[in-house]
Amino acid sequence: MGDFSQEGDRLSRVPGPPQTAPWNPEGDAERLWNSALQEPHLDALPRVTCPNHPDAILVEDYRAGDMICPECGLVVGDRVIDVGSEWRTFSNDKATKDPSRVGDSQNPLLSDGDLSTMIGKGTGAASFDEFGNSKYQNRRTMSSSDRAMMNAFKEITTMADRINLPRNIVDRTNNLFKQVYEQKSLKGRANDAIASACLYIACRQEGVPRTFKEICAVSRISKKEIGRCFKLILKALETSVDLITTGDFMSRFCSNLCLPKQVQMAATHIARKAVELDLVPGRSPISVAAAAIYMASQASAEKRTQKEIGDIAGVADVTIRQSYRLIYPRAPDLFPTDFKFDTPVDKLPQL
Amino acid sequence: MDADSDVALDILITNVVCVFRTRCHLNLRKIALEGANVIYKRDVGKVLMKLRKPRITATIWSSGKIICTGATSEEEAKFGARRLARSLQKLGFQVIFTDFKVVNVLAVCNMPFEIRLPEFTKNNRPHASYEPELHPAVCYRIKSLRATLQIFSTGSITVTGILLYRYQTCQLWIE
Repeated sequence: MGDFSQEGDRLSRVPGPPQTAPWNPEGDAERLWNSALQEPHLDALPRVTCPNHPDAILVEDYRAGDMICPECGLVVGDRVIDVGSEWRTFSNDKATKDPSRVGDSQNPLLSDGDLSTMIGKGTGAASFDEFGNSKYQNRRTMSSSDRAMMNAFKEITTMADRINLPRNIVDRTNNLFKQVYEQKSLKGRANDAIASACLYIACRQEGVPRTFKEICAVSRISKKEIGRCFKLILKALETSVDLITTGDFMSRFCSNLCLPKQVQMAATHIARKAVELDLVPGRSPISVAAAAIYMASQASAEKRTQKEIGDIAGVADVTIRQSYRLIYPRAPDLFPTDFKFDTPVDKLPQL
Repeated sequence: MDADSDVALDILITNVVCVFRTRCHLNLRKIALEGANVIYKRDVGKVLMKLRKPRITATIWSSGKIICTGATSEEEAKFGARRLARSLQKLGFQVIFTDFKVVNVLAVCNMPFEIRLPEFTKNNRPHASYEPELHPAVCYRIKSLRATLQIFSTGSITVTGILLYRYQTCQLWIE
């Protein structure tokens, strides 16, 4: 390698360009210090420069902790704090313990500043006093400013878990909640209601809407309250959402009813045609979808009763009956052309 | 959607809500016992008095504020309110009829055609809001007139707002 001077042993690890000037730590330091003293008004931080090349931009070698002049290879600054990791993890090590991490992987995007420390519950015999109570009960009051928000995030994750929503929807919900919470225009409403409404909006925005009744099923809030919060949030955030269509729910409802793919495609076709021909004005798309599934399933080998479909979709079976009556007259037109009828069209049940 | 058929459509005012004040404290119990055609809602703290002649239901609070609903026009609302104040006067209260104000007017009108709600909402994005799961009508808010229209797919429209002339302008708004 280069021809290193041996005066400073720590710094002779530099594998960089050879040093042409003899390295004089004391002299250099003094010179730097003096130069810094002479020009205190230029900038707040003392800028280190190579004494031979004051215009050269120093290269930082973080592994050795040096700042090196690229022209002559002189090590100008030293004892720069190493920001590399303290431990090295190998792939065959257990993934659970990673000694490089010092904090939890919280997202500072959502809670402001996540540097709080919580003291966990004690393990072992010494942490309990004589009555069986744990000593040091106080593990609360750490991030008081966002306590409610973290609580809501936990609630959102629980709700989303119940209906198996993917992580991106949960993240979107968290973001919406944070926006609403910071705006404070809905401050009086129950946080759970706002969280449920955010979840509903997030599902809508991602293109996989869930019905209000489905959200209601995983939340303790009534449908009316969720609906109210939903409208308020849309107004507060000045956004709007797309209208729901019948096709959004087909795959979910049909899978829950264990219907084969042809029936699902037929039902989707029927519902879309029905809406295009405007056979069902003013009916909720969910009811139309349920009626279409009923018609498709009755025409195929896998028949489902109205009650079963109503159970899955969350519509009353009289509602299915009503919508079915509206689409029944045009039944032959609504089916796709390549559909295999198990029960022919004229034999479809008439309610 | 021509302007002629719009103007020819009749728009019916179905409900006028107004408030007024009697500048005195009212003893609800006395009204409940001695008044005619009253319902005393003790848990909420108000008395409902129904009049026959202009068909009006009034909610009377003990502070002297009265809300009057059910009238078919503004003049009728005023008649009814005055009649109510007179009946309270007969019961012995020193009633002064002040601060009469029409708060809300509800009107219905019918379009001769059906309306396709999803397309309508798409064309009128910021003003119209449609939530089929919650309510079968499109809610169209006109900020400048401070009116709200609820548009149903059958073609009937419910208009709520404050001033009377606004309905005619609302009419011409509809396409």
